[in-house]
Amino acid sequence: MSPIQLILILLMVTAIATYFHRLRSKFLDNLIVLAIGTAGVVMIVMPKWTTSLAHYLGVGRGVDLIMYLAWIGVIFVCLLLYSKVRGIQSSLTELVRAQAIDNALRPKDRESNN
Amino acid sequence: MNPRVFVIVPAFNEREVILSTLQSLLRAQYNVVVIDDGSTDGTSALMTNCPVYLLRHAINLGQGAALQTGMSFAVQEGAEIIVHFDADGQHRIEDIESLIEPLRKGEADVVLGSRFLRQVDRSAVPPHKRLVLRVAVVVNWLATGVWLTDAHNGFRALTADAAKRIRLREAGFAHATEIISEIRRAGLRYVEKPTSIRYTDYSKGKGQPIWNAVNILIDLLLRRVFK
Repeated sequence: MSPIQLILILLMVTAIATYFHRLRSKFLDNLIVLAIGTAGVVMIVMPKWTTSLAHYLGVGRGVDLIMYLAWIGVIFVCLLLYSKVRGIQSSLTELVRAQAIDNALRPKDRESNN
Repeated sequence: MNPRVFVIVPAFNEREVILSTLQSLLRAQYNVVVIDDGSTDGTSALMTNCPVYLLRHAINLGQGAALQTGMSFAVQEGAEIIVHFDADGQHRIEDIESLIEPLRKGEADVVLGSRFLRQVDRSAVPPHKRLVLRVAVVVNWLATGVWLTDAHNGFRALTADAAKRIRLREAGFAHATEIISEIRRAGLRYVEKPTSIRYTDYSKGKGQPIWNAVNILIDLLLRRVFK
């Protein structure tokens, strides 16, 4: 197994494990975004570094390394959005339910209307 | 007389069939709670002269959410026994009494209808559907640790006390498996009772397609991860 495989697997496991334990915090999210942004700038300014890092990790080209990491990022963002959507969905369900119960029509209400 | 028995009928675009189902339930003197799950075909409008409890979801949430709304409401209205009943007329009104008998006798907290306890009911299930349900039984068992003879049978009955102790969070059809894990989690006593089923062209058309089994399985897995 090449180093990159190990790293990608570790990253993957971390992404999923984080969600299992719900260790998410806004601070951590921001930290990750900041780290990715900084890494991006460094790679743009110093493209040679990317290539040598890729070689060091067992990946042929710097571009490939970035692409692999980007995929991990995409998966991470998807998971993040999915957990947000589920949260919103469950609040929405509670809201619609409360409204339905509040506005329930009872058989006797109907009789007085007719 | 069934003063404290509330029959919950979730309905999503069921205008063709729902009235006859409701009329027979009312004739049998049950309290009927219809949850119109955001229908767009005027299902609610049909019920203006029908003495049922009518609750409307402003948007379509799914059958599981509709059942939970119905249970919360029935408990609030003082129900003692709650029955889940399909709007499309595939369940038999006559089966309700035998379904709730163990609850009345205090022998169980939840009664689950099964199409596989009597040969005659079993034969009524189309062969391909039988196969799907066999698989669903195994999936249910893997997901909940409870072995039942039937899966995803929407015909159930439970005491108000049991209804208070379970909570359906799955909005869609995965609720049928979720309810089993909730029963187990809450430590409720359950039994299966034979129920017969009438498959009409209408109910087949409305029924869950086979590939929905895959969706349900994924829903259940995601639920484990995301809670």
